[in-house]
Amino acid sequence: MPTSVTTPREKRGLKNWQFILLFVAAIAVILVAFHLLSGGLFLQWSNVTGILARTAYPSFIAWGFCFLFACGYTDMSIGGVVVLGSFASCILGNWFGLPGVILGGLAVGMLLIFINFLIFTYSGIPSWIAGISLAMIYEAIAFLLKISNGTKALVSTSLAMEYRLLGQLPWCLLLLLVGLVVVFFLYNRTTVGLNIRALGGNKDVAEKLGINVKKTLLYVGLISGVLIGFACFLQQSYAGQTTVKTGLTSINIIFQPLAIYLLAQIIQKRINIVICVPICAFILYSIFNFLTMVGVPSGTLQEFFLGAFIIAFGIIGSRRVKGVVK
Amino acid sequence: MSGEVILEIKGLNKHFGPTYANKNVDLKLRRGEVRGLIGENGSGKSTLLSQIAGLYRPDSGEMLVKGEPYAPHSPIDANRHGISMVMQELGVVGNLPAGVNVFLGRTGQFAKGGVVDLNALNKAAAAQFAKWDLPMPPLNQLTDGMMIETRKMIELARALSIDPDILLLDEVTQSLSLNNRDKLYALIRRFKEMDRAVVVITHDIEEMIRITDTITVLRDGEVVGEVRSAETTLDEIRMMMVGRQVSGEYYRADMTPTYSDEVVLRVKDLSVPHELEDISFEVHAGEILGFCGLSDAGIHSIGKAVYGLSKPSKGTVHMVPTDTDIHSAPQALANFMGYVPKDRDNEALMIHANIRDNSVLPSVEELKGKAGLLAPRKLSRMAEGIRERFSVKTTGVGQTMNALSGGNKQKVNLGRWLAKDLKLLILDCPTRGVDVGVKANIYALMKEAKKDNIATILISDELTEVLGMADRLLVMKDGRITKEIRRDEDFTEQSVIGEMI
Amino acid sequence: MKKGFDLKKLRLSDLVPFIAFVVLLVFFAVATGGKMFSSYSLQKLIEQSILTIIAASGVLFVVAQGSIDLTVGVNVALSGVVGLHVAQVTGIGWLMIPVSLAVGLLMGLLNGVIVAKCHVPSFTLSIAMLIGVRGIVNYIQTIVGVEYVPASMTFITASGVRIAAFFVLLLVMIYIFEFTRVGRYSRAIGENETTARFVGIPVDKMKILVFALSGLMAGFGSVFSIAAVGGTTQTMGSFLEMQVAMAIFFGGVLVTGGSSAKFYKVILGSLSITIIVYGLSLMGMSESHISQSVEGILLLLILFITILTNRQKKLKTEHKEEA
Repeated sequence: MPTSVTTPREKRGLKNWQFILLFVAAIAVILVAFHLLSGGLFLQWSNVTGILARTAYPSFIAWGFCFLFACGYTDMSIGGVVVLGSFASCILGNWFGLPGVILGGLAVGMLLIFINFLIFTYSGIPSWIAGISLAMIYEAIAFLLKISNGTKALVSTSLAMEYRLLGQLPWCLLLLLVGLVVVFFLYNRTTVGLNIRALGGNKDVAEKLGINVKKTLLYVGLISGVLIGFACFLQQSYAGQTTVKTGLTSINIIFQPLAIYLLAQIIQKRINIVICVPICAFILYSIFNFLTMVGVPSGTLQEFFLGAFIIAFGIIGSRRVKGVVK
Repeated sequence: MSGEVILEIKGLNKHFGPTYANKNVDLKLRRGEVRGLIGENGSGKSTLLSQIAGLYRPDSGEMLVKGEPYAPHSPIDANRHGISMVMQELGVVGNLPAGVNVFLGRTGQFAKGGVVDLNALNKAAAAQFAKWDLPMPPLNQLTDGMMIETRKMIELARALSIDPDILLLDEVTQSLSLNNRDKLYALIRRFKEMDRAVVVITHDIEEMIRITDTITVLRDGEVVGEVRSAETTLDEIRMMMVGRQVSGEYYRADMTPTYSDEVVLRVKDLSVPHELEDISFEVHAGEILGFCGLSDAGIHSIGKAVYGLSKPSKGTVHMVPTDTDIHSAPQALANFMGYVPKDRDNEALMIHANIRDNSVLPSVEELKGKAGLLAPRKLSRMAEGIRERFSVKTTGVGQTMNALSGGNKQKVNLGRWLAKDLKLLILDCPTRGVDVGVKANIYALMKEAKKDNIATILISDELTEVLGMADRLLVMKDGRITKEIRRDEDFTEQSVIGEMI
Repeated sequence: MKKGFDLKKLRLSDLVPFIAFVVLLVFFAVATGGKMFSSYSLQKLIEQSILTIIAASGVLFVVAQGSIDLTVGVNVALSGVVGLHVAQVTGIGWLMIPVSLAVGLLMGLLNGVIVAKCHVPSFTLSIAMLIGVRGIVNYIQTIVGVEYVPASMTFITASGVRIAAFFVLLLVMIYIFEFTRVGRYSRAIGENETTARFVGIPVDKMKILVFALSGLMAGFGSVFSIAAVGGTTQTMGSFLEMQVAMAIFFGGVLVTGGSSAKFYKVILGSLSITIIVYGLSLMGMSESHISQSVEGILLLLILFITILTNRQKKLKTEHKEEA
C-alpha cells in the first residue's frame, strides 16, 4: 500500500461543514435582522418569492462568467447581447408563443456570444476593450431596431402576458434548479468542463498535456452562449419588456451578475462556485430589496452600494494575490 | 545495457533566434539503460529532452524510436510512442483536484454518457500511485496549497500513467526530500529491470554517477563526450562540462583574500518567512563575497532581501557608508546599491524597450536636471557611453533589447550598474546563459569593480565561478548560513560540496 | 526624443495614427462637401476635443503603466457638481475651481490606493466606480438640480480663456510625460513591472501618483466642461471615459502601455475621435446611436491594426525567451 503524504495546507480554523453551517447561520441572522429592521415586511412570503424570482436571470449570467473568466476573458458586451436577445425572445414569442420565447433568446444569445468569442480569440485585442466596442455596436443596433426614423418603433418590446410564464414563479425557480444541476455537472464532471478549468488555471500545463486550446475556447463560447441565451429569455419573461440602453449603459446589466460572481469567488474554496452563484444572487437581491424597503432610492444610492460591494469583494478576493496586477 | 537501441538521435539541431540550443547532437539509448544528461546552464540539455518529449520540434536532424522514424508534434504524440516526461517547471493545475491532474487531457476515458466518473478516475489514479510505490496525495483535494514535493509526485504519476517505455526526468530529485528520492531511485531501477529506459537530468553530479549507467556531457549545445558512470569521476565530468577554459586568466589567479577593512554592508539576524533564517554577514569594500548552496538553500533570496525586495520578519540590512537601514528597493537604489537579478529577461530588462531606455533606468535620479528635466541628449549620451565602454554589439542605442544576443543583453544589464557610482553590487548568476567569451568579459568587469573598491555579492549556481572569483564564500543550507570559507583556507569544491549537502 | 529623424527607423506601428487621422480628415472633407474645413467647423472641432485631450492626458499615464482608468467620466461629473454647488452655497465663485480640482484629485487618489495597495485590477475598480459614483452624482443632482456658473466666474466661459488655459495645461502635461521621471517610470512599469520593482523604482507610489494625476486632470476637465456649457448637466461627463480610452488606443498606444505610450498619439487620437463624431453630425447622422456603432467598429478595427503592426516584433521575442 502506498504511504500517504500529509499535505500541510494553510491552517484554517474551520472544517468545511462548520464553515457551511456558519455561513447558513450568518445568512439567516442577516435575513432576520432585515425582517426586524423593515418592520416585519422583509420575510413576508410575497416578498421572499419576489426576491427568488429576481435571482434567476442574473444567476445564469454569473454562471456564464464562471466559464468566461476561467479562460481570462471579460466580456463587457453581455449587457448589449441580453438586450438584443430579449428583443428576439419577445418578437418570436409574440409570434410563436413559448417555443418562440425560448428559441429567440437562445439563438441570438448564442450567436452573438459566439461572434464575440471568435473576435476575442483571433484578433488579439484584449477582451474587455473589444467587448466595449462590441457593446457600443450592439446598443446601436438595438436602438435602431427600437426606434426607426425617430418615432416609429420597428420592434415591440412588450411580451404578451401569457408568454411571460417562464419568468414567473415557480417556473423560473425550476429553470434555475435545472440550470444548477446541468452547470454543476458541466463544470465539475465533464471533460470539457475540466479542460476549461485547466486552461484557466494554467494554460501552459493544459496545452502541454494535449488539451486543444482553440477547441476548448470555442466550447467556452458555446456554453456561455447558451447560458446567456437562457438569461435573455428569462429577462424578457421576468420583466415583460426590455429597455434600450445607449451610451454603454447596457454594461449596467452585468454589474449585478459581476458582483454575484465576485462574491461567489470569495467563498468558492468552501462551496463549489456553481452552487455559490444562486446563493450569492439571493443575498445580493435581499440586500437591495431591504435597501428599497428602508427608503434608499434606487438608481442613485443603491447604485453606490453596488459599486461599493464590487470594490469590497474585489479587495477581499485579491487579498492573497501576489505578483503583477494591472 | 546490451539491449537493443530504443531511441536514436542523429544530427539534431535546434536554435532560438541567433543562439544554438542544440548543435549536431547524436545519441543512442538502449533498453535497460539509465542515461544521464549533464552540462552547465544553457548547455542545451533541457532543450534536447523537450524535443524528445515533443514540446519543441527540431530544426533539422532525425530521431528513431524502436527503429521507426519519430517526429512527435506534441507531448501527446510522444506518449503514443511510449515516451513521457516530467518537466522541470511545468507543475500541476491548482484549481483542479489531484486525481484529475493525473489524467488531465485524458479524462475522456472515464466519461460515461458525457459525465466523467470521478470515482473510477480516482481509483485509476490511486492504482498508479500504488503500482509505482509513490506516496499518494488526497486525490479529491485541489492541488493549490499542496507542497512542491507532493505536486511533483502527481506529475510523476501522470507521466507513469501512460506506461512509458522511455521516461524522461528533468531535475526531479531537487524538489524531493531524501526518502522520496530513494523511492524515485527504486523506480528507476525497476524501469531498468523491466528492460525500459530512463533519461535523467540533475545538477548533482554525484547523484548522477550513482544512479545512471552512462552520462552524456553537453556544452554550448553540443555533445562533448559520453562516459560510463562506473568508470568516471566527478572531476572528469566537471572538466568536460566547463571545457578547457577552467583555469588561467579566466578566473582570479591569486589565492589570497584582498579587501579593505571598511565594512560596506552589515546584515544582521535577517529572516524572511519560508526563505531565510537568521542571516548575518558583512561585506567589505573591494571584496567579492560568494554565496553558494543547493537549489533550495535560499541563496537567491539573499539578493532580493538585501536589495529590499522581500518582507523580512526580523533583522536589519544596514548600509554603512550612508548609515541607513534598507527597507525597500527604492531606498537601496538611492543608497548606492546595484542589483543584477537572476532572470535577465523577466526581472532585469524591459526586452521590448530600446537599449537607451534600459540603460538609463537605474540612473534616472542622477540624470534629473532643473525642474525634473530628463534631457534626451543627456540620456542618449549616457546610453552611448555604456554601449562603448562595454562594447555592446548593436546597430545603435535605439535598437530594441530583444534584438540582442543573451551576452550583449547581459552587458547592458551589468554595464548600466557599473556606469553608476556604486558602493555595493549584487550579482545573481551573472553569467547564466551567456557564451564563454562574454563570461570572461564579465569576470574581467568584476575584477575591475573590485579594484574600484566596490563591494560585490556574488550569488551563483555554478560552484566553479564562486570559487574562481570570491574572497570569502558563505555556504547556505535550508535558508541558513552554515559555513564561511576564506580564499586562503580550504577553498576547494570537495570541501564546499561537503558543506552544501 | 528622437536622435535625428531617420525615415527608415519609423515603424509602421508609429505611422498608423497619422494615416488614420489623414484618412478620416479626407473622408469627412469629401463626405461633407468641404463643410468640415469651414472656420466655424474647425473652431468647433478644437473646442470639442479640448475636454477629451485634457482628460486623456491624465489617463495616458495610467495606460502607460498598463492599467486603465475608466473613472474620468464620473469623476468629471462628481467634481463638477460638487465644485459648483460649493461655489453656489458659499457665494464665493472662485471656489468652484479649487474644490473641483480637490474632489478630482481625491477620487484619483482613492483609485490609486485601491489598485496599488489592495491589488484590485484597475478594470474591475473602474467598472465599480463607474456605477457607484454615478449613483452618488445622480443622488446629489436629485437634490441640488442643475446649477449654473456664478456671475463672478462667467469669464471662464469665454472661448479665448478656455483655449489659452488648455494650451498651458497641455504643455505642462507633455513636459511631465515626455521629459520627467514620472513619465519614464510609468512607461517602465508598463514595459515590465517586475523589472521596474527590481531596479528600485517606487512602483506602488508611482501607481498612486498617476491615478491621482488622472483624477486631477478630470478635475480640470470638469471646470472646462462647466465653462463650455455654462453649468452642470444631467449627462455631464457620461461616455467621456470611453471617448478618452478610444482616443488613446486610436492614437496607437497599446493596451499594455510601455514604450508605445506617446503624447502625440493622444492628441492625434483625440482629434480623430472628434472628427468622427463631428463629421457624422455634419453628415446629418447626429443621433448618438449611429455614431456610436461607427465608433465601436472603428475602435475594433484600429485596435486590430495596432496589434497587427506590433505583432511581428513581439512574436520574434517570444521565441527567444524560450531559449
